[in-house]
Amino acid sequence: MRPSQEVKSAFCLRWLEVKLDLFARNDGERYVCGLIDGPCQMEGLDRLVQDAAHGAIAQFFGVVRNHNEGLSAEAVDYDVHPELALKALDELCEELCTNYPVNLVMIHSRGLVRVGESSVVIAASSAHRKDALGAVSEAIDQLKIRVPIWKKEIGPDDELRWLDGHSLRKD
Amino acid sequence: MTTITVHCLGAFRTLGDSFVVDIDNMSVASIRAAVSSSFIAMERPDLNTVLTRSVFAEGDELLKDHATVSGSEVSLLPPVAGG
Repeated sequence: MRPSQEVKSAFCLRWLEVKLDLFARNDGERYVCGLIDGPCQMEGLDRLVQDAAHGAIAQFFGVVRNHNEGLSAEAVDYDVHPELALKALDELCEELCTNYPVNLVMIHSRGLVRVGESSVVIAASSAHRKDALGAVSEAIDQLKIRVPIWKKEIGPDDELRWLDGHSLRKD
Repeated sequence: MTTITVHCLGAFRTLGDSFVVDIDNMSVASIRAAVSSSFIAMERPDLNTVLTRSVFAEGDELLKDHATVSGSEVSLLPPVAGG
């Protein structure tokens, strides 16, 4: 068996053992990306990308904070275009796994995520640290400007604020 | 005239889940112009600022303004802000 096949087999097996209630998910040869209703689970993410040939695991947890632009916040309600978001996540993972020799997991929330809870989780493993760290850093940077997801911030008195972002328009 | 259902996302959800516009050709530019006029009619001219930075999609395809749509439904995507 070629090494890449071995990685895929072990990677998918670990993923199937983790019961995450994703409502949309894509599996690549070395990655999994998906969307989940409510907050993301932060525990155990590293196990999904572990590999006997990899000496580094890097993780990023995007967590809802209690303030933004000088205003208090209680939660964020994430709006998602599921088909487009999953397609964008899939393309992003493909690119990252082409540019970095990593196993990769990237999951984003839809709906209500409260302060302290995680709205996005990313993990990457690689033989050496620079690739895992680079992949995770680029993953979150690109996710923010490419994936059709929107934030509605909820303040202490239930005031609602749609947050501005990055235009996908190319003409 | 053709009636197009525009599905709202992000900040456009303040208008509801969707609204309809009538267009005389199937270009995205025509839909954009009709949506802009609808915002004025709905007394939401403020949304035209967001509209200029927004993109239309049909199914899972993002559309440029010179493209044409084949169906009767599009999504209107304001600037994205995930994470």
